[in-house]
Amino acid sequence: MKPEEPPLTPPQVEGLVKLLGLTREHELTCGECLEHVGEFAEAQLAGRPLTDAMAQVEHHLALCPECREEWAALMKILEASR
Amino acid sequence: MTQDEIRWPDALRATDRGEQAAAVSALRDVLLKGLRIALGSRADVSEAHLEDFAQDALLRVMERLDQFQGRSRFTTWAQSVALNTAFAELRRKRWQDVSLDALIADGGRMADPATFPDDVLGVGEDRARLVAALREAIENDLTPKQRAGILAELRDVPFDQVSALLGTSRNAAYKLLHDARRALRKRLLEAGITRQDIQNAFPT
Repeated sequence: MKPEEPPLTPPQVEGLVKLLGLTREHELTCGECLEHVGEFAEAQLAGRPLTDAMAQVEHHLALCPECREEWAALMKILEASR
Repeated sequence: MTQDEIRWPDALRATDRGEQAAAVSALRDVLLKGLRIALGSRADVSEAHLEDFAQDALLRVMERLDQFQGRSRFTTWAQSVALNTAFAELRRKRWQDVSLDALIADGGRMADPATFPDDVLGVGEDRARLVAALREAIENDLTPKQRAGILAELRDVPFDQVSALLGTSRNAAYKLLHDARRALRKRLLEAGITRQDIQNAFPT
């Protein structure tokens, strides 16, 4: 028998609903995000407008905490080397 | 010559072994410096870890050299690969003892809407309707893998680990969860809960 676990908490349910609100038919995978995140980070630092491809990166980062963590670390490196 | 001036991809592919070795060594230094900036303050990361991450990242960058398309500086691209490599390993270590069964033991059960704080999931009937629709969708509209993945994601299990638990790649895990979210959203729409209703309830 599987162990009994507490049900999803209200914040977890809220998190799911928020994810559904952000869900699009077409989204970048993590691998596709990785291919573009460098360009996205450099554009952000330079204050350049986002291209369509970079807007898709921004959307993926809103949905994916792991890619968001890696992007934040990349920004830290780029800012330190300015 | 500064590092920005090195024509990295050409130097890393150089047939002159001395030139190539110098470029590989320089890139390793760049990656290690970046990893120190990004991860050096973490309690779970030692200098030895950073050296290992830099070495693993260097190998991965060399394997993927043909994928660099010049949309960013080469070092920015290489740093993004290095961070992806390092974070994947850190997440793997953190979650290595967690089993998928433990994460999904409760199936799609959710807290009783009546017990939710007032500021969560709207109010009254709307809240109950939304939670009921979600519960039904998780139980009936998702495959076992999708259900396991969604429940793991809601418990903050990283995609790297979800993919390891499901025996698939991180890209495939993301796609699996994307399909699951689309299925859940479809069920909400069929229940009369629109995207606008969701966005109004949870503005981002």
